[in-house]
Amino acid sequence: MTLLLEVTGLTKRYLGLTAVDRVAFEVEGGTVVGLIGPNGSGKSTIVDCLSGFQRADGGQWRLDGRALTGLPAHRIARAGLTRTFQTVRAYDELTLLDNLRVAAQERDGVGWLPSLSRGPRLRAAEKAAEARGRDLLTTVGLAEYAQAPAAILSYGQRKLLAIAAAMMARPKLVVLDEPVAGVNPTMIRRIETVIHQLNAEGVTFVIVEHNMDFIMSLCRRVIVLEAGEKIADGPPHLIRSDPHVLAAYLGQRRAAELVLPLPKGERAG
Amino acid sequence: MMPGWLRGLLVLLGVAGLFAVPRITGNEYVLALGVSFAMFSVLSGGLNLVYGYTGLLSFAQVGFFGIGGYTSALLVTERGWPLEAGAACGGALAALVGLVIGYSSLRLSRHAFAIVSLSFAFLCMIVARDWVSLTRGAMGIPGLPVPVLHLPGWSWRLSRPADFYYLLMGFAVIAQAVIYLVVTSRLGRAMRAIKLNEALAQSQGISPLSYKLLALALSAFLAGVVGGLFVFYLTIVDPSIFDFYYTETMLIMVIIGGPGSFWGVLGASAVLAALPDLLRFTTDLRMVLYGAVLIAAMLVFPGGVGGWLQRRALRRWRRPRLAAP
Amino acid sequence: MDAGFYLQLLLNGIVIGVIYALVAMGLSLIFGVLEIVNFAHGEFYMLGAMLAYFLTMNMGLGYAATVVVVTAVAVCLGYVLYEALLASLEGGGFERSILLTLGLSMVLQNGAVFLFTTTPRMVQTSQSYVNLVVGDVRVSLMRVFALALGLLAFGALYLILYGTRIGRAMRGVAQNRDAALMVGIDPRAVSRLAVAIGIGLSGLAGAALAPVYAVHPLMGFSFVFKAFAIIIIGGLGNVAGAAVAAVALGMLESVIGGFLPLVMVDALVFSSMIAMLLLRPQGLFGRGVRV
Repeated sequence: MTLLLEVTGLTKRYLGLTAVDRVAFEVEGGTVVGLIGPNGSGKSTIVDCLSGFQRADGGQWRLDGRALTGLPAHRIARAGLTRTFQTVRAYDELTLLDNLRVAAQERDGVGWLPSLSRGPRLRAAEKAAEARGRDLLTTVGLAEYAQAPAAILSYGQRKLLAIAAAMMARPKLVVLDEPVAGVNPTMIRRIETVIHQLNAEGVTFVIVEHNMDFIMSLCRRVIVLEAGEKIADGPPHLIRSDPHVLAAYLGQRRAAELVLPLPKGERAG
Repeated sequence: MMPGWLRGLLVLLGVAGLFAVPRITGNEYVLALGVSFAMFSVLSGGLNLVYGYTGLLSFAQVGFFGIGGYTSALLVTERGWPLEAGAACGGALAALVGLVIGYSSLRLSRHAFAIVSLSFAFLCMIVARDWVSLTRGAMGIPGLPVPVLHLPGWSWRLSRPADFYYLLMGFAVIAQAVIYLVVTSRLGRAMRAIKLNEALAQSQGISPLSYKLLALALSAFLAGVVGGLFVFYLTIVDPSIFDFYYTETMLIMVIIGGPGSFWGVLGASAVLAALPDLLRFTTDLRMVLYGAVLIAAMLVFPGGVGGWLQRRALRRWRRPRLAAP
Repeated sequence: MDAGFYLQLLLNGIVIGVIYALVAMGLSLIFGVLEIVNFAHGEFYMLGAMLAYFLTMNMGLGYAATVVVVTAVAVCLGYVLYEALLASLEGGGFERSILLTLGLSMVLQNGAVFLFTTTPRMVQTSQSYVNLVVGDVRVSLMRVFALALGLLAFGALYLILYGTRIGRAMRGVAQNRDAALMVGIDPRAVSRLAVAIGIGLSGLAGAALAPVYAVHPLMGFSFVFKAFAIIIIGGLGNVAGAAVAAVALGMLESVIGGFLPLVMVDALVFSSMIAMLLLRPQGLFGRGVRV
């Protein structure tokens, strides 16, 4: 196994509050790693920093040996680290196939002028993208809507489309930010199968999720955060019995029951 | 959907028809309407590229238009440059200025860009009016000479209204072809992606700033060139070339035609270029009417004609899905 | 040139700067709370000045009463503007808000041109030609009055923002919209008040400057150009920053305007906005703007 992602000392502050405090972890190639923690523990901030959507206040991270620290989001994506969003995003007015083709076009090396002149290189690249797009749509079970605008999809289907889009450019690492929050159980199983299948094809995943069953069944390794710090890192069965984790979650759950009895899926926007 | 060959044939017929107009009628009023349509179609087409496709609300188009007009007029009268060089230089300068204001404000936010672009258009008018040593002030540069266009193996003296009709219509056709080429290419697809969801586009490796600047520079260039040609038709360039009237008119064309709809905006340009003269309003009242149309459009009809067609297309997809078990 | 001349310029600059501040603070407040750039903001300044003209010159109302009436009318217009147009935009549509306010600006401005023509008018009061003389410095009473009005408005705004519950809520929303909404602030009430205050300040500015400058339908358009630069330089949505930038700009403009043609001043204003965006895009005084 090779080291794919190396994060050291990642720090992010907001208005004097330290949201992420010197977090360090690695991800090995070909694995599925879970990133969990109570609300406000800094998971999403980590995702935003690693993918370039927020500027980190400290720390370094490398993908496959290449430093990504401080690069803008689109360069990090081109370097092979792609992500999905908690609030699902899709280009509503574009067809599903175009949603996927857009996701691939910055990494096939065809520049602006060849794109305008529509020569054989562009046609080949677009043909390859279409083939891959149709494959991925089949994988996620949306092939029949290939030519429909994304606006017609249901919430869960949009999550699947987002996963497919994140795969388009053959990234080295995909970070899924709450892929099953607010999704019905049938769709959760479908998403799980899709991740398994793509992982079997060699894609590495980092999954941020609240749904414990989902994380525990999918991940070989789980990283736990609390209040911006990493408190545990290991295989699921050890995490389940880790006293720090139990304390963090029990405390959180009690607090949650007292103040915020939110059912799961409430965050679906 | 129309088959591609039929659409191509219709476009060909349309262009041929436009170029046949001066042969059928020498009526100067008709030719003037044609010139107005040609000029506005380039401005609104550029605005559509920037706003309709890329999602950048820009008020700078009129600034680019006027910069092209002044540059071309000054180069031709003071330096004796040929028309084509003057207009091209005007376009290039406009594109450069567009890159500067775009690069500086776009890194902050779309709001900043909207503010800066409006301020820029306004500054242009002030400079044209008050920087007398450069722009000759409020009187402008009247009495522009009959220009000569040097094409390979042919010098074309533009002395009749019909000549300007051919010139501006010809440039409009080229400009529209360029815009069409961009918006139907995958560059246009990336621009639409940025408009629809910028963060998602970024997460897929698309650099929003590059595409925004591309759209801005291209539309600025086209507006600058058309300004550089149009002033010789007017035979004068003065600060009124920066009048807000142009901005309002091209905005209305894009809004009515539907932002992001190539044919919609082109059609709206044709209708609205002819309409004000038919309505015979005074300028102030026409602007009041345009403003009211803008407000009404924003409140009840946000997508324009193009948006309405798109919603219809969406319904077509939804229906069989609902009917399915 | 002597010190008195500079002092004179500086003083004129402070007066105009304070009036800029009234317009710019309202613009910045509305942006901070609603995330809407009100492109029609200058037209309310124009309407305030026009109304002041008609109240004093045609209705024979005293100037002090005029200022009160104009401000009250402007506040009401702000309520109407929010309820009739801006409320429907809440939370949606960056372009729609801009085009809507721009359309409104077109209607107001060109409607005023159509009704009143572009002829400049002067508001003349019984004190119009009274000057205060201190040493070498000579200031017209109306300018001093405008300055006093401006400072009074500053004070009132400060009291509202820092002394009242809803004012604190407004600051909360301007600083962190999501957090403020989560702690149970009613966004409609806050937005409505922000727009009313913003438009009220704009109308007040118009009434304050009406006896000092000429009144005409296109005056708002050129004024808002400066206000835009001010709110960018002060930091979009930062009300205090806008006030500081406005006064600084007024003084700079007045001093430079003593030596250079006015077009240079405008060019300078625009260039400093661009320079600010390049060097420090969050503005001199910060507040990160979320895209």
